[in-house]
Amino acid sequence: MHQRTGASASGTRLVKRLLAAGVAAAAMAVSVSCAATQNIEFWTMSLKPKFVPYFESLVKKYEATHPGVTIEWVDFPGDLIQTKLVTRIVAGKPPALVNLNVPWAEEYARDGLIMPVDILMGTAKSTYVKAAIDDLTFSGKIWGFPLYSNVTVIACNTSLLKQAGLTRPPRSLDEQLEFAVRIYEKTGKAGYAPALSKPDGFMLQQGLPIVENGRAVFNSPQHVALVKKLAAAYQAGGILKDHLFAEDNFPTVIAAYNGGRLAMLTAPPAALNRIETDAPDVYAITKVVPAPLGPTGIVDGGWLIHFAVPVGLDPALLPAVADFARFITNDENQLAFAKLANVFPTTVAASNDSYFQKLSAHPNASEQAMAVGAESMKQSRTLYVAGIEDYDELRRALVNAVEAGMTGKQNVKAALDAAAALWNKKLARQAHQG
Amino acid sequence: MNHAFRQSLRAYLFLAPALVLFAVFAFWPVGYGSYLAFTDYSLIRPPHWVGLDNFRTIFENDMFVTGLRNSLLFLLIVPVIQIGALALAVLTNNQLPGIRLFRAAYYLPVVTSISVVGIMWGFMFHEQGTLNYVLLQLHAINAPVGWLSDDAIALFAVMFVTIWRGLGWYMVMYLAGLQAIPAEMQEAAILDGATRWQRFWRITVPMLKPTMMVCTVMSVLAALKAYQEVLVLTQGGPLNSTFTALYYAYDQGLKHLKLPRGLAASFVVSVCCIAIMLPCLHYFRPKHR
Repeated sequence: MHQRTGASASGTRLVKRLLAAGVAAAAMAVSVSCAATQNIEFWTMSLKPKFVPYFESLVKKYEATHPGVTIEWVDFPGDLIQTKLVTRIVAGKPPALVNLNVPWAEEYARDGLIMPVDILMGTAKSTYVKAAIDDLTFSGKIWGFPLYSNVTVIACNTSLLKQAGLTRPPRSLDEQLEFAVRIYEKTGKAGYAPALSKPDGFMLQQGLPIVENGRAVFNSPQHVALVKKLAAAYQAGGILKDHLFAEDNFPTVIAAYNGGRLAMLTAPPAALNRIETDAPDVYAITKVVPAPLGPTGIVDGGWLIHFAVPVGLDPALLPAVADFARFITNDENQLAFAKLANVFPTTVAASNDSYFQKLSAHPNASEQAMAVGAESMKQSRTLYVAGIEDYDELRRALVNAVEAGMTGKQNVKAALDAAAALWNKKLARQAHQG
Repeated sequence: MNHAFRQSLRAYLFLAPALVLFAVFAFWPVGYGSYLAFTDYSLIRPPHWVGLDNFRTIFENDMFVTGLRNSLLFLLIVPVIQIGALALAVLTNNQLPGIRLFRAAYYLPVVTSISVVGIMWGFMFHEQGTLNYVLLQLHAINAPVGWLSDDAIALFAVMFVTIWRGLGWYMVMYLAGLQAIPAEMQEAAILDGATRWQRFWRITVPMLKPTMMVCTVMSVLAALKAYQEVLVLTQGGPLNSTFTALYYAYDQGLKHLKLPRGLAASFVVSVCCIAIMLPCLHYFRPKHR
């Protein structure tokens, strides 16, 4: 049996103590370094390069006041962000926050790809406008931090309106269509270019439901009458025909307005920036008026963008994510971003800011658009049909029916009936599977 | 180990680096993609075998059926593009002053970005665009034509742009073929008293047969796989009339993330390509080895 000497035993104790101290120091260092490297990656949609200075200064400001947190900003074009997001969620490396619109969020919430944020939002909920929170509430839970919203205004080419003998803006859809036809008759230019790639939103804004009790109801006499009104204006030349039913007809429509080929552009206020840059002569004769409210009292074009929190994040990161989400969507930052981007903030204080309320003595078209839009924001909601699988395909069937009816390829009622039958077949199958 | 075996082994060793790259970046994705066409699959759940369900779904869909029909209709551009490219190659094969400028001009559409092509032809084709303006000024039409908004003609407008884009590429191929024909053969034929037409049919065309094969194969594949022009000009409209099978695959698979449908549509396009290419290759195969 081997016995240790006293000296060697005390040396061993010393080594053990040193080792223990080393391990403890290493553990502390690891934990400190873990805390120091809390990384929050947030994704925006189509905001580079224009808003690089804004987001970079925002990130710097946050990091300066939150040592131990690093922020990484990534921007993706709108047509890529969904693929990237799903891929990263599947790979187990989701971003902490991602810009989504309401229909996407609703679908992701159904698929379990994003998480409710009620707890993360906490008391900050009361700082956001009610309409924005309502837009983001599905199944009784809130699914995102509102960032900004949009609403449609009408930019009028006053020269074309004058040539058509029109002295005031349209007050209803009927008037808008009537004016459009008159403009075409007097000037040979189209008057109006509605976003008919989303006829569901158009119908909803006019107070006409799409689905009721699990069945498509867009072939009712009221829906038929609405499409017939559009068809009459289309066939009389009042509606711009190019790309009218394309999924994204906005580039064509704004190009037509900039080229003086369209008299009334229905677009969010941010479009005025583009007109100012691309067609200063047209911008100079542009007057902005509110888009007519439908019978619902809801204005067309409501489109809320928010930050959603994907599933799969490290739970330890969530408090920091919540803090950053509240920071990036707070009054001050929303207001600054809204001013830069010509969009509307979704916090109560920011939306009541005098910037949106007061007009200068001689407001330019952009200022008019912001003032008009701010007034319309109170009636803004994102209009879409929720909870239906394969909705894009069904909507395309509706678009085709409206297109066939408007262009005279098919009787309006027959076209809507056929589309409704297709919807009902699919809805019944879904109900059966569900 | 006999000599022939060693020779083959050496050849495969030389081929190996390229084959490995092909295996990783072509054969595996094609094989796995084909397998996924027979599964129910999304990025958030693993694939599970559903047999022909995806094919049943796409063939029940008007957009795909129309797209497939349009893809086959797109084959009409093959003879037009081949004859046009050959004619341009013959014309630009002459040593005239400034001929390089013409060659470059005809080739320009090939190197023009598809986005620019979309914007430019969009301006040309829209109802108040350049084309209608010129035709109205010439009194060739009474009212603006909806080149891209009339479902009866939109597909042909898109096909025209495809021809316009491809002509320069095939012209260069034919030009290379023409310049590879030995001048002595033409000179001998001239001495024998052959006319220009006879020289073209008896010497130029037969000597160009390998080039014709390559160009035909490439243009048939390009026609069946057309989708970029659709994307930038019409997005499948009006009334789905310009949908092609591959545009449907893109629309479903990449735009709406319905991957099994997109893959099934791509699979059908591939089968069509093979079915059409085999007789072409058989027709052009060398008769004498």
